[in-house]
Amino acid sequence: MKPQFDLFDRRQFFGVVTKTAALLGLAGGAEARGQTTANPFAYDISRFQKTDPKLIAYQEVTRWPLPHKEARRLAFGPDDQLYVCAGNYINCLSRAGGRGLELALAGPACCVAAARDGSIFAGLRDHIEVFDSKGGQVARWPSPDAKTWLTGLAADEKNVFAADAGKLVVLRYDRSGKILGRIGRKDAERSVPGFIVPSPFLDVIIHRDGLLRVNNPGRHRVEAYTFEGDLEAAWGKPSAAIEGFCGCCNPIAIAQLADGRVVTCEKGLPRVKIYSAAGEFESVVAGPESFPENARACTDLNDCVHGGIDAAVDSEGQIYILDIVAADVRVMKPKG
Amino acid sequence: MRAKPPVDAPVTRRQFLRNGARLMTMTGLGVAAGALAPRSTGAGWVWQIDPARCLHCGNCATQCVLEQSAVKCVHAYAVCGYCQLCTGFFNPEPNALTTAAENQLCPTSAIQRTYIEDPYYQYSIDEKLCIGCAKCVEGCERFGNGSLFLQIRHDRCLNCNECAIARSCPGAAFRRVPVDHPYLLKTTSR
Repeated sequence: MKPQFDLFDRRQFFGVVTKTAALLGLAGGAEARGQTTANPFAYDISRFQKTDPKLIAYQEVTRWPLPHKEARRLAFGPDDQLYVCAGNYINCLSRAGGRGLELALAGPACCVAAARDGSIFAGLRDHIEVFDSKGGQVARWPSPDAKTWLTGLAADEKNVFAADAGKLVVLRYDRSGKILGRIGRKDAERSVPGFIVPSPFLDVIIHRDGLLRVNNPGRHRVEAYTFEGDLEAAWGKPSAAIEGFCGCCNPIAIAQLADGRVVTCEKGLPRVKIYSAAGEFESVVAGPESFPENARACTDLNDCVHGGIDAAVDSEGQIYILDIVAADVRVMKPKG
Repeated sequence: MRAKPPVDAPVTRRQFLRNGARLMTMTGLGVAAGALAPRSTGAGWVWQIDPARCLHCGNCATQCVLEQSAVKCVHAYAVCGYCQLCTGFFNPEPNALTTAAENQLCPTSAIQRTYIEDPYYQYSIDEKLCIGCAKCVEGCERFGNGSLFLQIRHDRCLNCNECAIARSCPGAAFRRVPVDHPYLLKTTSR
């Protein structure tokens, strides 16, 4: 005969364990709730995390995912083809996101520019590679310096400008790869203050007025230079408010609309805004509420270099925003 | 000698309960030992804040048994970007980048701003004024390199057996560290 034990049966045992766990959980929750009090010393930027709807002049039309991870930059070519740097690739996409040419590089693609003749200039970390419109490699320009970190490119018929965040200059190349000049280097005699680039986000565009526009993130402004390196103008002010550039170092990227207005991108409080050519704040394309993952990239225990956004403008004035963290492209068109 | 039961013999309810009780006992002992070990009040241990776990909740300023907290902001100069617009120093919407009180984030003006060269500034903490509120720490971490962080200053700390701040710390950032390595310093950003 089986011995009799004065123990719980299995059902009773599990029942008791479950009830005990539930009681402990309730007690723990109550204690945690009791400890939650408002922080009188909170760093409050909540008022900047939502944009006044009256300031938002664009609406999202569509968005599509990127073909590769680790996106960095995007740019339009003169043929309205969108070139996206992601991972070790540069992908040529249609305005609807359809995939075309794909360039596979030996290292991470950091920036890209396409000239009117179809030449594609791919910026790797420390050098530029040149491809024809069918993807055949034409040239590999030597690295200008061991500390070079290319983060922005712009090209016209005669010049290629490369923003070097490592050496704090914009390199001016001719189309054969010869360096013609270094723009933006600190020079008191020419009243050039120098670029301050705490994180690797230096950008350059060739503006329709014939001057370069370069972001100077550590000074919270956009600067206009001649091709010879003379500083002609600068605008921008530091502030988390919507008309300013927030954090330690913004804007991180710039683009231009057909009428010469400038599109700026910021990290930390991720937002895309439009300024007049003279630098007056006009409107918002997308505010921090549009980039929740991107905003978190700078508040989690990650370095903010992993956050960031970029923008490019097509021939119809639609703004394509690359969200580096969400790994997608959003197409924004003007409201109304 | 007792014959061993066959390997594939079913586990009886008695064996199941006995094994379960042993497992629970061992687990409980392990948990208890783990929980008690860092709370040792031995002379060789002191309290310190792990900067990686700090949530900038403000409790360090309000929960310490001292009238002015033993927790102070410290600055890792090697990590600092020496920014003109330091988000640990300036409130989010300053009127101007000057040291005027209305532009400062610190409620006690405990951060000193010194011009180095254009456009770089050095920021240092006046510990007599710092109350350990971590407002600057959050500003620096949110937009900067995270070079400002909190530490318990052992010239002030009473090394209580049960630290009042540790008990209320929501990030469990307080821990006991050896007295010969009493600080947990930041050496890299974030």
